[in-house]
Amino acid sequence: MPTTERTARLKNRCRFKHVAGGEYVDAGVKAGVERARLITESHKKNVGEANCIIRARGLENILNNITIHIQDDELIVGANTEHPDYFPMYPELSYYSTVDMVESRYCDHKDEMREIAEYWRPYTIQTKGEKYFTPEEIGVMYSATTVQPPMFVTAFSSIVPNYESVIEDGLLKRIEVVEKNIADANANMRKSPWNAPENLHYLDKLDQWKGMVIAMKAVVGWAQRHARLAKIMAENFLSEPKRKAELLEIADICRHVPAYPARGLRDAMQTKWFTYLLCHSIERYSSGYGQKEDKLLWPFFKKSVIEKSAQPMTREEAVELFECERLKVSEHGSTKGRQLREFFAGSNDLFILTLGGINPDGSDASNDCTNAILEATESIITTEPSISFRWNEKGNVETKKKVFNCIKKGFGFPSIKNDEMNTQQLVKYFNVPEEVARDWALVLCMSPGITGRRGTQKTRSEGGSDVYPAKVMEIALTNGFDEFFTNVQLGPETGNAAEFTSFDQVWNALKLQLRYAIELSLRSKDVGRVMELKHLCCPFISSIDDGCVEKGLDANELAEVANPWHNIIGGSVVVIDSMAAIKKLVFDEKKYTMGELMDALRNNWEGKEQMRIDFWNAPKFGNDDDYADSIATKYYDLVADEWKRNTTYSGTYPLPLAQSVAGYIVNGPKTAATANGRHAGEALDDGGSSPYMGCDKNGPTAVLKSVSKINASKHKGILLNQRLSTVLMNSDSGFDLWHAYMKTWHSLGIDHVQFNVISQDDMKAAQIEPEKYTDTLVRIAGYSAKFIDLARYSQDTIIARTEQDIKAG
Amino acid sequence: MSKCEQCAFFFPIPEKDMDFEPGKGDCVLQQEDTKGKFWLSRPVLESSAACQHHRSKR
Repeated sequence: MPTTERTARLKNRCRFKHVAGGEYVDAGVKAGVERARLITESHKKNVGEANCIIRARGLENILNNITIHIQDDELIVGANTEHPDYFPMYPELSYYSTVDMVESRYCDHKDEMREIAEYWRPYTIQTKGEKYFTPEEIGVMYSATTVQPPMFVTAFSSIVPNYESVIEDGLLKRIEVVEKNIADANANMRKSPWNAPENLHYLDKLDQWKGMVIAMKAVVGWAQRHARLAKIMAENFLSEPKRKAELLEIADICRHVPAYPARGLRDAMQTKWFTYLLCHSIERYSSGYGQKEDKLLWPFFKKSVIEKSAQPMTREEAVELFECERLKVSEHGSTKGRQLREFFAGSNDLFILTLGGINPDGSDASNDCTNAILEATESIITTEPSISFRWNEKGNVETKKKVFNCIKKGFGFPSIKNDEMNTQQLVKYFNVPEEVARDWALVLCMSPGITGRRGTQKTRSEGGSDVYPAKVMEIALTNGFDEFFTNVQLGPETGNAAEFTSFDQVWNALKLQLRYAIELSLRSKDVGRVMELKHLCCPFISSIDDGCVEKGLDANELAEVANPWHNIIGGSVVVIDSMAAIKKLVFDEKKYTMGELMDALRNNWEGKEQMRIDFWNAPKFGNDDDYADSIATKYYDLVADEWKRNTTYSGTYPLPLAQSVAGYIVNGPKTAATANGRHAGEALDDGGSSPYMGCDKNGPTAVLKSVSKINASKHKGILLNQRLSTVLMNSDSGFDLWHAYMKTWHSLGIDHVQFNVISQDDMKAAQIEPEKYTDTLVRIAGYSAKFIDLARYSQDTIIARTEQDIKAG
Repeated sequence: MSKCEQCAFFFPIPEKDMDFEPGKGDCVLQQEDTKGKFWLSRPVLESSAACQHHRSKR
């Protein structure tokens, strides 16, 4: 339970913005219009200016004029909209996403927002990006069947802000640096004799730097507005001395940061929150909560909690502050189109912070700040932000016990990433110096990226977007045509499977369909990237990256450290199990023909139940069975090789990342019956290497052995969901058994694992009496959600997962 | 007609602040709903006509 009366009150009144079935759960949630109104007003005044100046003026107009607010009891202040119940809109990004919101029940200003949407239509990155694709390609991408619609229409992005530079420097110092760059450029351009090749590059840079200065000054002013509001509240509206003192301290903090370097933990937390809001939801929308929080805040935790040399506080007060942070994230409203609201069932967005691992010097990076964050997580019980823990052999047992405590309570997080493997990935594939790579954090659910003052990932056109393998395999059997859902040719004509006479033909059709989906998806990302750097400059995000400041480049343009990756979402194991069944029953044993199989799949196994059972009982991945596992290995190598054929914007090839979010639920109904014995419309597998629901029958070690046969080092990440027994995890030997399991997991070189620890009985009881289970959390895949916020179909997929007894392993 | 500058909820912006403009101030209002109290601040000009929330300074 919350550790203080304040956080109990804050949690009790938390304005959660979770979605279920694509709709917001809380009836009070509304679309805010002020951001859209203010950026439009500014755009009209500044048309004709360089894009980075237009964008900077837009941000300035928002920050100077948007209604700000502070709620009772808050210790961390600032929000992205004019009202605590609202989420913002971004008409400059995607016309379709804006219209979807405007025409929804959440928008109370329909006429004004329709006018704003139409004003922006020619300027949106959607309109700019669509021009480079044929109508057929647009049709394939927008159907969200084999690939995720491009970012220029979903408006979905992700970023790792350079928190360090704001916290360490303060913006006033950074303004000085940029103004010196401007002065130096102007002086160079006036040197005699005139030299065009040496000087003309300054034109674009001068615009970029001027935009950065406008943006940073506006941010300082916005923080000062919060300082004034807190002071006005203390002096004019409140009489309770303790709260008055808190508000005066908040006023002092907001007057100090982000203008100046943070002094202690309260300054650092407030700077981090302001920076988060600006980078993720005010300058533009980007998902995520990418940060190595215990590294970022540790110097300030030491000063405030341990040494008490700046903003002194007790450890209990620090835990309370981390609880407040989790509640602040919980009521943060994000704006996504319908497909993504459905993809994040039970959540309001993807928020994942990273803890643990090792320091650049190789020492254990888990510290007492790590422990305090985990304690706050355990006490406040919120689904957001999710946590990823970097499991390193050097990690101390005390911190690992706190990780275990959260997992055994059923939160579904921390999810665990293999620290050594993920560090080496950045070193090997992206040439990151090892000491820099050792500060990695997850960009979004599963993908490591660097943190720090420069070179962090700034846009999802670098890493992100999806290919949906189960649907790709479906059309690989039907000559590239989608007979089940869209009646559209979704891929190249690779033949009708009824006529295939060898397993290699099936495999080759899958490869060619995957190739088409991958290349279309990558091209849409890179076209989007160019549209972003031309039309969606982000002067504030650029201003806090040392590389952008040094080079005078927009953050979308500069790919100082390449980090391309691409999701392969839900369905990989359906493909693997289907391929294993086809190989076994059609080509090895010749029990059925491809013609018979296609007839059965087209008819959803109707009248072919014995045949379906045969395919269901064919070898399945997750049982340490080499027959199925060799196909898994071959499939994951194919996936890596197919991505490796391509070179993206940042000059190298992307690594695939097999995971799911709720895509395995959403894409199930779009996917016809499959050869693993699955009926049409049923859910897909719940993650990258999670065995299909109910198909892992040989215990947890067999699962680990199967997964370990995949060469995970060729991939950005491969998700593994496991469900563990509540009785065992809560027993006296729970930690020791789990710790032994984790050591096995680590020694097998597996990339990732996350756990659901909830009993069948509790989930079924929660379906009947949801009001009694408001704090029951479950892991979906990549994030957690309140069980009762999920649709029944989604709940049933969690119940269907095999519960592993790690004693049996 | 009453102006914002005469309102108890109007607070002029200090000259040293980044968003200072002559005559500009913060309009600060307290609100309360089922989830608690919160305070809103938006910029207004002292010469603006009073709104429905106007309360004269004492």
